[in-house]
Amino acid sequence: MTESVLTLDQVRAMAADLRLDRFNDAQLEELTRATNAARARRAKLGIERLSLADEPAHVFRLDDEEPV
Amino acid sequence: MSELAYLDVASASALLRSKKLSPVEYARALIERVEKLDRNLNAFLRFTPDLALEDARKAEAEITRGQWRGTWHGVPYALKDIVDYAGLPTTAHSKILRDNVARADAAVTQRLRGAGAIFMGKLSTHEFAIGGPSFDLPWPPARNPWNRDHFSGGSSSGSGAATAAGFVPAAIGTDTGGSVRNPASMCGIVGLKPTYGLVSRRGVVPLSFSLDHVGTMTRNVRDNALMLDLIAGHDPADPGSANHASGGYTAQLDRDIKGLRIGVIRHFYTRDMQADPEMAQGIEHALAELARLGAEVREITTAPLDDYVACNRTILTGEAFAIHEQWMRERPQDYGALARERLMAGAFVRAADYVNATRLRRKLTEQFHACFAEVDVVVTLSSMDPACRIDDPKAVEYTYARQSRAPFNVTGSPALSVPTGFSSAGLPLSMQLVGRPFSEALIYRVAHAYERATRWHERRPPLEV
Repeated sequence: MTESVLTLDQVRAMAADLRLDRFNDAQLEELTRATNAARARRAKLGIERLSLADEPAHVFRLDDEEPV
Repeated sequence: MSELAYLDVASASALLRSKKLSPVEYARALIERVEKLDRNLNAFLRFTPDLALEDARKAEAEITRGQWRGTWHGVPYALKDIVDYAGLPTTAHSKILRDNVARADAAVTQRLRGAGAIFMGKLSTHEFAIGGPSFDLPWPPARNPWNRDHFSGGSSSGSGAATAAGFVPAAIGTDTGGSVRNPASMCGIVGLKPTYGLVSRRGVVPLSFSLDHVGTMTRNVRDNALMLDLIAGHDPADPGSANHASGGYTAQLDRDIKGLRIGVIRHFYTRDMQADPEMAQGIEHALAELARLGAEVREITTAPLDDYVACNRTILTGEAFAIHEQWMRERPQDYGALARERLMAGAFVRAADYVNATRLRRKLTEQFHACFAEVDVVVTLSSMDPACRIDDPKAVEYTYARQSRAPFNVTGSPALSVPTGFSSAGLPLSMQLVGRPFSEALIYRVAHAYERATRWHERRPPLEV
């Protein structure tokens, strides 16, 4: 999966959606670098190796004594 | 001063118990050393000599009365400043938590105080255990005792520096992607990330709930095992705490390693990354030494390093941003630039990516644990490079990511960083020993056999020249 590189304006809009609206321009640059790096990592996740039945590493489980 | 500064825990404890060493005399010697030398190292963020002397006087009175509490009675220690000590601020080295006074002790602090150990203070960290070394925070970053122009590793940077510098014989660190083992590697000491859940995280500022570990940092293997003996154990107040038997970590230390099967993951540092030649030579010499001691060394393979790192970082940044989102909205300017950027990486991690990373985590963990059908202990590098200069941000960024520690936060396996010598520039080299879950005693046995044969741990940084 190839990810397109996000621009500063795209990231500014995405940040506003999350109410991250106090970032100055330098901080938005940081967010853009960080987000592009995270997207590059996402492309390396290797999800093609997962089968339908592969459960997460931490699955919620009630203790035996938990009232039903 | 050096003699007391570099006493190991076992020897100090014997002297204290037999009243040949006074806890007050011991604490005073270390206090003087910190006052003289830490201005160049910044290992302590909050040095507390008054509390140390108070603890020491109490220990002395108890030992004099014959009320010896055990190995740690009268032995100094310090805490990474994301670990709570009641009544003192836990700042996480951040302006954001500058006034965050702890109401109670962390679980590990309770254990150390209950054992009569001497609290020396709070140690520098990377901001929130993720952003550093930074020069835009209220406190300076710790520096490397082997060369103060160099990085001490992180994020338990003060814990590594203070232990190597002889300010304390033992310190507490934490490890989410390698933050105990990195400063242990850089500072030439022994650092353990225990099995996930073996040591309680109660009272520790979280970075990533499912990857955080509290670990032990000492100058030799035996001291590390003694510290783990004290702090390991189930804590119902930590939801990640394992209800598993603990203790007995020194039990195998004096056994040899003849016939033990050691698997080396060489592809981490030869194919997936190319380690610095001196670091690679250090581990190859160590493997030869382990073979000479009677271990059967064989090469094994696991998933590529990148698979583990992508998994670790997706989970870490997603969980960390959940913790920091509100502060990021309200006080973004109060973070240092490095922590802010590293934390921001989690802002747009999609739920599906996070869940898929945890699904991959299970697969990677099962695959890695399957190695132990063939071997007893795994050896690989910890850091790919010796410590770089602390004032070179590009070198810091480059070397920070060049490590093979994160895989074992993903798998939750116990992993120990031990010194393997020194580079031509006099900076520490290291390797990492990894085992099955809860096999810390076996890892210590292998590390101790190697340590006794090589004695790298007896070298001291040139602080007083």
